[in-house]
Amino acid sequence: MIEAYLIHILILIAIYAIVAIALQLCLGFSGLLNLGHIAFFGIGAYTSALLLLLGVPFIFCFLVAGLMAMVFGFILAIPTHKLKGDYLALATMGFSFVVYAVLLNWTELTRGPLGIPGIPKPNLFGFSFSDNFSFLILAVVIALGSYFIINRIVKSGFGKVLEGIRDDELATRVLGKNSFKMKSIALGVSAFFAGIAGSLYASYITFIDPSSFTIMQLIPVLLIVIVGGLASLPGTIIATFVLMALPEALRFVGFPSSIVGPMRQILYAVILLLILIYKPKGFFGRVEME
Amino acid sequence: MGIFIQLLINGLIAGAIYALVSSGFSLIYSTCKFVHFAHGSAIAFSAYMLFFLFAGWGLNFWIAAVLAIMLGSLLGIAMNTFIYRALRKRKASNIILLIASFGLLILIESLILIFFGADVKTIGFIKVEKGIDFLGAVITPLQIYIIIISLVLLVGLFFLMKKTKIGKAMRAVSDNKDVAEIVGISSEKIYNWSFGIGSAIAGIAGILVALEQNLEPTMGTGLVIKGFTAAIIGGIGSVPGSILGAFLLGLCENFGIWYLPSGYKDAIAFILLFIFLLFRPNGILGKKKEGDRK
Repeated sequence: MIEAYLIHILILIAIYAIVAIALQLCLGFSGLLNLGHIAFFGIGAYTSALLLLLGVPFIFCFLVAGLMAMVFGFILAIPTHKLKGDYLALATMGFSFVVYAVLLNWTELTRGPLGIPGIPKPNLFGFSFSDNFSFLILAVVIALGSYFIINRIVKSGFGKVLEGIRDDELATRVLGKNSFKMKSIALGVSAFFAGIAGSLYASYITFIDPSSFTIMQLIPVLLIVIVGGLASLPGTIIATFVLMALPEALRFVGFPSSIVGPMRQILYAVILLLILIYKPKGFFGRVEME
Repeated sequence: MGIFIQLLINGLIAGAIYALVSSGFSLIYSTCKFVHFAHGSAIAFSAYMLFFLFAGWGLNFWIAAVLAIMLGSLLGIAMNTFIYRALRKRKASNIILLIASFGLLILIESLILIFFGADVKTIGFIKVEKGIDFLGAVITPLQIYIIIISLVLLVGLFFLMKKTKIGKAMRAVSDNKDVAEIVGISSEKIYNWSFGIGSAIAGIAGILVALEQNLEPTMGTGLVIKGFTAAIIGGIGSVPGSILGAFLLGLCENFGIWYLPSGYKDAIAFILLFIFLLFRPNGILGKKKEGDRK
């Protein structure tokens, strides 16, 4: 019993870790406060779920989910590349609301508020990941792969240019770097990883509806990135473990289940405010948000 | 014709409510220079306080309403004093303040959810009345009051900003904080005033919504999103602009559902927001200032 519960938490940690390091690429390394990140997660989840239900093999759904999110990432980059600071935050948030409204209202495709039930578990090369333990291994492998790739990106010359754009966009452009292209790629890659995480999420929970992809669901992810510290990938992973496990303690304290949801939100909100006031760089952060 | 008039009236009523939210939002933005999302929590808080005092305690409605508005205003001042001031003290960027305001919004919304429950509540002060027939459209007396109250408040706010000492001080801080401080205006005091006045207006909006529709813990989030959309459309930081934006938004939403399924009402707001952010980020009346978009 406790083992099954532990596996469940670990799977969620693996999925959230992917979403958080993807946001880290955007926010921490490129300085783009993208509040539409959760929309990419949703786009990936819906793409993957709908294709799986059509009988498309999982590996294909998984990749298309990422690519679809990536395309939307590029699309979002076009109108927003000139915006900075709170304007960028508002525009990307607007994007997430539009995606939510479409998921909710395009009922022929998404079944709207009813959601999509019965999403099949992944099946790779004839091996079915139907039990949670094998799913955990799959999720951890994908999370490690994502970590490895994003780590390579931020350590590369391209990653340094992104950090240059974050710290001083004008200077980077003076040095002959195409900041629009760089930022689009950063947003696209970040969206790709959010999309594949969405695909995993859909297959794990086996049910999705638009309410899983609202701006409120972004708060834990944003909190993970801020607590872990901007531009620190190991910090993000540690923060994912701590912040995903922490609210679970509420369950053991004995709060009734109707209170656990809001209590979790309160806990996150309080941590967010405290960290912003007392430890603005997070625990392992290298830079402060501007 | 009947449909046209009905949509026009619906648009004006929505616009009147949005205008109350967006003018307070804009007032706070113009002096404090950051996006105060938690403005929505003042709306929900006032509405729930009215419910608690009137329906729960059985206080006289008008006393309960005044108390609820005052509590909403105090909540705004408290948020400024305990959270935002601490952040300003360590020179946090406006992005940090924006994220903090998100945290505050979620915090207060969740507290309301815990104390009052998730179910929809009604105040039940105004009996359901038959609407008045107006050029083939239907409007209830309450809706007429909503339009009148918001117009009176907005005119009042306009005079407050233009004629009174505190209004002039607010505009001075909004224009140039450092110069205002040199001539002896305490910017911290002005921030508190903006939060107090802005949140009180938001509280009134919350009460009007509570009377016309009903109460939900998430009511503030929905309204503050409309409010800031209106503020950006009209020109963020310009109070008259945000009022204009609010009515424009209300009308666009209501006429939009002539063509689109009504579920897309919220999407219309964001498409409008997007168009303005792309082509006219300073809004209709917003002044273009050096460094605004940095």
